[in-house]
Amino acid sequence: MGTQLNINENLEEDPFDARLRDEAVYIDDAGFTAGVAQKLPNRPVRRWVRAAILIGVALLASVAVYVLFGGVWGIAEGVTRLSLLPLPVIWLGAAGATIVVMVAGLAAVVSKASGRSR
Amino acid sequence: MALTDADLVARVLLDDDHHAFAELVRNHQSSVRGLLRQLVRTDVSLADDLAQETFLRAYKNLRSFRGEARFSTWLYRIAYNCFREEARKRKELVGIDEAQLEAEHDPQTTDPALRHDLARALQLLPLHERTAVVLCCQNGLSHDEAARVLEIPLGTVKTNVLRGREKLKRTLAAWGPN
Repeated sequence: MGTQLNINENLEEDPFDARLRDEAVYIDDAGFTAGVAQKLPNRPVRRWVRAAILIGVALLASVAVYVLFGGVWGIAEGVTRLSLLPLPVIWLGAAGATIVVMVAGLAAVVSKASGRSR
Repeated sequence: MALTDADLVARVLLDDDHHAFAELVRNHQSSVRGLLRQLVRTDVSLADDLAQETFLRAYKNLRSFRGEARFSTWLYRIAYNCFREEARKRKELVGIDEAQLEAEHDPQTTDPALRHDLARALQLLPLHERTAVVLCCQNGLSHDEAARVLEIPLGTVKTNVLRGREKLKRTLAAWGPN
């Protein structure tokens, strides 16, 4: 314990330490901070903002469908017409929709993964 | 009034404030880059790459900084870990270079033009002594803080600082009068 105290006291008193500290060179920033700031990951969208966007888009789409089809009866008629289409056309439509959803999902996963690896 | 490190960290955590983090980088870039330059010794651009990696890791892991230690101490620890990972990847960085410089460590044969050059003398120290001296004597860490940064026992840090300082004094004395 006494030895430890002596060591610390010696370090505090020694002018050599002051010289070491004084001669430590200040490194000029020279764009270093800007380089780091540029590489910081993008700010994530807050959860409530994301939820609000999704709900807003869903509401807008519902209103658009309601207006375009001329109300509830128009929508019912549209669904009936869709169900009367030939089976291959319905299959094609379903496959197309599936592919669109898969591509969108894949794009989201890839974008999220690249964001994490940065 | 300048904001303290704690204020800036709080701003980053609360608002993900990039400007506040940039201020932290600006405040600490010199000491972190200086430490890494002393550790890497041969390659300034590598030291700066490691410093950049240090700050990016600090940003990503800022929530794990609990404020028990100084922010600078926490940064030095990340910087030292970055250096160790890099050194493991490039064994020659520490291995061959250290051995070579140990062999060169003869003050009488050193270029007279390097007299009084404290920085050069510092670079002649073995890695463990150089790191301890830079952290404690130049960057103002206590022995206890340095022990936490380097993950070595307190006694080892004290020994490394003492030996490093003694060697530095001897080297400088051999190069010429102070």
